[in-house]
This record gives sequence, structure tokens and C-alpha cells, in this order.
Amino acid sequence: MSSRFESVKNIFIDAIDKNNYVELESATYNYSVLESSLDKPLKMVLLYGKPGTGKSMLLNKLYHNLKENREIHYFNAPILSEKEFLRSIYEAMSGQEIPEKMRVNFDGLLKYCQKLKDKREIIFLLDECQLYSEPLMEKIRLLSDTRVIKFVITLHKTEDEDVIAKEHFKTRIWEVIEMSNANEYDLEIYIQKKMIQKGFIDISNTIKKRDIKYIHKYTKGNFRETNKYLYTIFDIYEYYDVHEPQKISEKKFSKKILEMAAIRLGYINA
Amino acid sequence: MLKIDELEKKWYRYKVKTILFPMASVVFSSVIFVGGYYVYDSKSNTFLTPSHKISKVVLGVSKEMNGSETQESLTLNKVKKELKEVSLEPVIPVIDMEKEERVKESKKYVKKASTHKVNRHTVKAKANKYLTASELTVMAKAEKVKVVKPHVTKKMNFQTTSINYMDTMKEKFLRTGKSRDALLLSRAYYKEGNFKEAEQWALSANKLNSKSEESWFLFAKSKAKLGKKKEALKILISYYKKSHTAKTKELIGQIKTGKI
Repeated sequence: MSSRFESVKNIFIDAIDKNNYVELESATYNYSVLESSLDKPLKMVLLYGKPGTGKSMLLNKLYHNLKENREIHYFNAPILSEKEFLRSIYEAMSGQEIPEKMRVNFDGLLKYCQKLKDKREIIFLLDECQLYSEPLMEKIRLLSDTRVIKFVITLHKTEDEDVIAKEHFKTRIWEVIEMSNANEYDLEIYIQKKMIQKGFIDISNTIKKRDIKYIHKYTKGNFRETNKYLYTIFDIYEYYDVHEPQKISEKKFSKKILEMAAIRLGYINA
Repeated sequence: MLKIDELEKKWYRYKVKTILFPMASVVFSSVIFVGGYYVYDSKSNTFLTPSHKISKVVLGVSKEMNGSETQESLTLNKVKKELKEVSLEPVIPVIDMEKEERVKESKKYVKKASTHKVNRHTVKAKANKYLTASELTVMAKAEKVKVVKPHVTKKMNFQTTSINYMDTMKEKFLRTGKSRDALLLSRAYYKEGNFKEAEQWALSANKLNSKSEESWFLFAKSKAKLGKKKEALKILISYYKKSHTAKTKELIGQIKTGKI
């Protein structure tokens, strides 16, 4: 027997998809800054913040919005091998596939870029850049110096990664966008919009401000954590709906289930 | 597969920890406090009684004197106790009296001023727009009378044509997830007289786009129609604080006077 809560919980599966993007005031502002920065003569744009603040989501939205009008490429997973990275850059720029036994020479790639100066402007979106090695970061820096390639990179905000940002990009990154966790108001909009967009208006209306406050208390407004928490909540709801429907109310969001989910995820030590 | 039984057990343990333990500690501490007080009180009494007895034994000759003295001291104690009790009584009534006097005085001035004004202009204005209880009952009766009027057939025709519209609009909303579509649905339900649905859809429209004035209006109007006049006014006043639009003010007035 299937439950409608199964569909609700699936909304909160943490997936980077443009259809899952929820317009929030803070995110809309960051997006407009990011988009306008691409028109400026910048070599690099740095998007940084703690994990789960929506960096990848923003990058994904930027890619889907601009792919029809601009030369833009999105590396959603980091390519850790230098050989593979250079090959991917060249293949994206030239549109040609390089045979497996051949490799891209970095000096050759730089020269190729220099030849394209004032003719083309190519944007590369690189996610999870904290995983790239320092030598590879150095090459990214040199490629951005040609002014043919513009990199938009995302970094997790930790002390070490701040060092990377400082050392490698302080003279090159002109636009720095810091992403932060959602406040209670933003979190409420995020949850409500996600559910309403998929047609679960009645369930979304049962979630009151005090429930949002409770969710925010444990997730600290982190979108990834929020998704995880809500997935667990509706997972429990689904169980009750199928096996013990008398235990859940259609009018009121269950505090018991909120607490049970918090226990299950280890937010509460029971 | 979820192990709900186990999770429920954990939840019950958590509840016991968070609710019963603090409650038990409060009860325990209050028991200790009350018990301690009782013990102290009984001890102080036992301290007094022997000395009393001793005085009786030693000064047995002047029993009457002592008796009168003790009576005096008892009456003194009583008076002291009464004084204590009086001093423990709330001080608020005294302040209230003073306040009342001041209020009375100010009211006198206001009355004087107001009567003066009335005499001067001879215009009688209503103090506020809120309806009195008697006015409301009249309104309710009037509404009941209105219901009896045969407008039902018109509405039935409208409903049959609008069902398809609602369904298509709902489908469209599920596809687009746009605030505009939710608003259209709310508007249609409001027109149809289904205020509960109108309220829900206006809320959804507002959640998707809180800047939409019509979503605020439809939400408040539906609430007012559902008899939640106070809530409707509260919503509109909060919106008026943000928007300061004349339309909002007008709608507040309409709901206050019972036009909606």
C-alpha cells in the first residue's frame, strides 16, 4: 500500500537539479551578483560557504540559464587527475574528442587560449574546488590569466580552504560571493515552496512557525541537513500512514514525529 | 526499513527525561521546602512551650498577673500578625484608587471639553468603527434573511461551469507552481462562495509571492466571510504596516463595518 507521504519525502531527496531550485530572497540576490559578475572583466569568481548552503545548486542554475546564450561548461564533480582535467578543458573548448592514448600539453593549451583572445570568452563552472591539488589550482590560475577562460569556482569555507583562496586567487578573484545558512524565515519559505510546487499544499499548511523553529534549531538553516531531516520526518509519517494511521492527524504537524526524526538522526541524545 | 518500535521506545525515554524528571525534581524540591518549613515551624513551637511552662512553674504566685501579661502579649502578637497580614496584602488597590481618582479627574476634563465641543459644533460623531453587540446581532439577522432569498439557482449554474475551470487551473498550478495560478484559483473560489478553498489558495499564492496584494486581500476577505473577522483585520493591519496602501485601509474599513 502506497502513501502520499512517500511522494512528499521524495521531494527532500538531496539532489542537485534545476527543478529542485527554490527561489529565496538571499539566493536570488546571490544569483544576480553571480550573473552580473560574468559580464565584468573578471578572471575568476569565487563562490564560498559552508557545505549545504546551496553553492552547487546556484552553479547548476547558472549553467542551465546561460547554456543557450553563452559558451559555458559545468564540471559538477571535481576531476582530480591533471591529465583528465586538461583533456576535459580542451575537449570542451575545441569540441573535439582526443584519442585515449594522447594527452594535452599544458603549454600547448595556454598557446591555444592566447590565440583565442578577444575572439571567444569561455566560462567554466568548477564545483568542489577544495578537492583540487595545489599544482592543478596553479594551472587553473594560469589559464584564467589568458582572459579567454573565466572560472567560477566553489569552495567549502574552512580555514585550510581560506588559505587556498588567499594564496592562489587573491590577485585574480575579483568577485567573492559568500553563501550562508538560511535564517528561520528563509527556511520556512524553502520548505513551503518545495512542497507547494509539488502540489502538497494541505500538508505544507500544517507546518507552523513553531515547527520551522524546531527544524531550524537542529539544522541551523543548512539546506542539506534540512532535506535530510524532512526526509526522515516524512519517512516516519509514511510508516504511520500505512501501518497505524490513527496515530497521525491530517490537521496538525506531529511534534512527536519531529522529535522521533531528531532522535533518529542523532540531533537528540535519547 | 524503519525500526519504528525501537524509535518510539527511545522517544518515550526522551519524553520521560525531558518532562517527568524536571517535574519530579520540582515536586521533590517543593516537598523538601514544605517539609523543612513544617519541621522548622514545629521546632520553634516546641522551643516556646517549655519556657512558657517554666515561667508558670517558677512564678506560680503571680499567676493572674502573668496570665494577664500573656494575654496582653498574645493580643499584641495577634495585632502584630494582623499588621503583618495587612502589610502582605497587595498594594495595588491603593494605587488603583489613586489612578481612579486621576482617571476620574481627567474624564471630567474630557467630558467638559467634549460637551463644550458638542455644544459648539452640534455634530455627533461615532467613536469608532467597531460594531456593538446589538448591531452585530442585527447584522446576523439580516444575513440570515439574505440567505433565504432565492439566489441558489444562479450559483448552481455558475458552479457547473466553473468545475472544469478549477480542475484545469489546479492542473496548471501543479505544472507551473506559479503564484499567479494559485491566485486565480482563490479568486474563482471566492466568487463561487467557497471561502474555505479561497482562503487556502490565497495562502498558497501568498507563500509563493508575498508581495502580491490581491493574495492578502483574498485571504483576509475569505477569513472575514468565514466569520474570522478579528483574524482578517489582524492580517490586513499587519499588511497595512508594510504597504500603507489606500486600498488596504479601505478594505479594513469595509470589514470593520461589516460590508464584507
